[in-house]
Amino acid sequence: MSAPQPSAEALVSVSNIHTHYGKSHILHGVTLHVGAGEVVGLLGRNGVGKSTTLKTIMGLAQPSQGEVKFAGRAVTGLPAHKLARLGMGYVPEDRRIFRFLTVMENLRTGLDRRGVTAQRKQELLDKVFAYFPVLAERRHQPGGTLSGGEQQMLAIARAMMLEPRIILLDEPTEGLMPRMVSQIAQIIGALHRDGVAILLVEQNVPLTLQASERIYIMEKGMVRHHCAASDINVNDEAIRQYLGV
Amino acid sequence: MKKRSHKTYWIGFCVVVALLAAAPLALPDFWRRFLTEILIWGLLAMSSDLLVGYTGMLSFGHSAFFGLGMYGAAAALLTVSPPNLWLAVGCGLVGAAGVALFAAYFSTRLRDIYFAITTLIFSQIFYVIIFTWTDVTGGENGLTFRRPPLSIPWIYATPFTNETLHWFVLAVVTASYLILRRITQSPFGMVLQSIRENENRTRAVGYPVERYKVVAVMLSGLFAGLAGVLYAIQNRFAAPDFVYFLVSGETVIFNVMGGIGTLIGPIVGAGFFLLLRETLSRFFTEYYLIPVGMMFIAMVIFMPQGLLGFARNWLNR
Amino acid sequence: MSAILEIFAAIPYDQVLIQTVNGIVTGMILALVASGLTLIFGIMDVVNFAHGELFMLGAYIGVVVLATTGSFWLALLIATLIVALLGAALQIVTLRPLLGRDPLTTILATFGVSLVLQNYALWQFGPVARKIQEPITGSFQLLYLEYPWYRLLIAALSAAIIGALWLFLKFGTWGIWIRAATQDRVMAQAMGIPVPWVHTGVFAIGAGMAAASGVLFGPLVGVTHAMGLDWVLKAFIVVVVGGMGNLGGSIAAAVFISLLEAYASIWVSPAQAVIVSFVVLILTLLIRPTGLFVPTPK
Repeated sequence: MSAPQPSAEALVSVSNIHTHYGKSHILHGVTLHVGAGEVVGLLGRNGVGKSTTLKTIMGLAQPSQGEVKFAGRAVTGLPAHKLARLGMGYVPEDRRIFRFLTVMENLRTGLDRRGVTAQRKQELLDKVFAYFPVLAERRHQPGGTLSGGEQQMLAIARAMMLEPRIILLDEPTEGLMPRMVSQIAQIIGALHRDGVAILLVEQNVPLTLQASERIYIMEKGMVRHHCAASDINVNDEAIRQYLGV
Repeated sequence: MKKRSHKTYWIGFCVVVALLAAAPLALPDFWRRFLTEILIWGLLAMSSDLLVGYTGMLSFGHSAFFGLGMYGAAAALLTVSPPNLWLAVGCGLVGAAGVALFAAYFSTRLRDIYFAITTLIFSQIFYVIIFTWTDVTGGENGLTFRRPPLSIPWIYATPFTNETLHWFVLAVVTASYLILRRITQSPFGMVLQSIRENENRTRAVGYPVERYKVVAVMLSGLFAGLAGVLYAIQNRFAAPDFVYFLVSGETVIFNVMGGIGTLIGPIVGAGFFLLLRETLSRFFTEYYLIPVGMMFIAMVIFMPQGLLGFARNWLNR
Repeated sequence: MSAILEIFAAIPYDQVLIQTVNGIVTGMILALVASGLTLIFGIMDVVNFAHGELFMLGAYIGVVVLATTGSFWLALLIATLIVALLGAALQIVTLRPLLGRDPLTTILATFGVSLVLQNYALWQFGPVARKIQEPITGSFQLLYLEYPWYRLLIAALSAAIIGALWLFLKFGTWGIWIRAATQDRVMAQAMGIPVPWVHTGVFAIGAGMAAASGVLFGPLVGVTHAMGLDWVLKAFIVVVVGGMGNLGGSIAAAVFISLLEAYASIWVSPAQAVIVSFVVLILTLLIRPTGLFVPTPK
């Protein structure tokens, strides 16, 4: 297998991490990397540890072994809020909108940081409202009253408020209508053009293959396959096995 | 292996009981009395361990059960003449059980901290009632009475001596320990422990969790009441101070210091606490709770398994 | 019909009016104590057993500062700040290590803190009650009573502090952080909110509010080392009746319970009037264990 090696300029590199939840051993030595501005897909069946990989990178789960590096710096064991401030955005699987905060307040959780001028704040807001006009309309509505698709947009917009260098996107199209799915694909493309790296966990294989440059496939808490997105043949029996399609 | 540890346990048990029984013959009066008190407070602590250690319910209201045990015994000793030991025990238990049923019915609807707060508030209700109902309870001054003779009904009666009182207390506490141990190992006790581990799952499996909790609180209250009866008999009074929250707080301290979920641990904790109080109050007078409180906080943070658990881990190392 | 009229005629309206005013005054103080408690509970699942002791300590610091500077307002300010700092230190030392452990351990730790603080106060200030001189001494005619203006001032000040808290939570960056962390601690952290420090900050705010209420309430009764338990008990009741972690509910419940106790004290002694709030609690547990003053959860 011709697995591209982590380049020197990898933005996020994960080497051999093991993560446990209580007594269950979820990750058995995951190694992967995401280059600056690169979109990387992470595929696999349910329960193979894709979400846990994202959580471990984000500092929401502590690995018992292994190392996470961000922009050349070892960040293993750093609390999530520090990683967020370093420029790591996280969009979790179940979106986790602050239900009782308005759309605007949800955005402010990421926007009200030290060193962001009022002008810069306005620019950031204008940018996400241009991407997601519906959020501008509902800016004073509590997050919990939005529809599923709107909540997904808010979750992405909220992460963008951090001006991240990478966004960890966990199943952004789960449970969305087809029209919304294509909108999410457009957003991923737009973020990519802005130079934001994305680590995308998805069940929607065609979308992932179309959006990503490289693909990792996980099974049983380990990376089993790694290649360029264009090299994947969905009809390959081995790939079908891994993905459960 | 299993059989041998079983045997070691019973040998250890017999040795400890024998030592405790022989102690009053060797100890000076002050320390004999001290030992008797440790046993009584240990029984109270053990009763609350059934809730906090085995069912996962932290009670901050054990003073109510203890106090009602005291006042129940007092009622029997003051109204019936000549005073009868077993009637006092019976009345104390009835008093404690009544309070326990009342408190259990309401407070078991709640979990965790809500349960803790509710038990605390219930104990305050009884404190206020006892404190203000001066005609019956003697209010702030409490009630004093004579100690009943040690008796086997219709057969034999003799006044308590210091030694026989100690043996009587030891017998009651040992019997209570064996009963509580049996309860925790019975199928009923297993259900309580599964409630502690996962209440929802226990309910889903089909156990009427609320009913089990009510019974657990009742049992715990009964043994706490028994401790109250013993204390009343030893000291010949019942006072509202013993219904007050501080007693509940001390019970919690005994449990945490000794190690919850072990039955023996709380007795060790009670002994440790009383010894600490005895030693520290020589240096800190009545402010001994400042260092004890700090030690308690440190134990909550660093030694959550208590003295007994710590010793056990250390021995097994 | 005449029986009903007799009942109405038997109500001592003058006393009812006076007790209404009294009830609102104590209710506002209680609301101030309870809102700190419920804020701490809401955001970090910590039942602060030492809340009453922070109230007591605030009152004592008020006594000391008032004695040295002669200014009640300075005493109020300094007591609030010192106790807020103390609260922050306590949170860091005793509660932070317990993060992620059973919430019951936090009640144990704060219980230990309350023991230490209470006995420290006894040691430092002795068993004799201290008095705080009220800053304004005027009074007005309420029926046949000379009713002190100060009591109304307390109610107004408590309301103002609670109002300020509300504005802070509603509009401030920290307010948004606090509310976000209350709703979803993990996601708040992933958004770069320093949740451990938000916890410390909230504990400090709650402690400061308890201290402020202690100073405000000081002139009405003596300041003693044991005054904390009564308040923390009442605040617990308020917080349960109002719905745990619900600020508005706590305020409503505080006023409601204080009014009931004030009315009850027309007929029974104040010590017994406490039972009324216990009964309210029991009824709440029976009818709506989630709290009387919250909308039914969907």
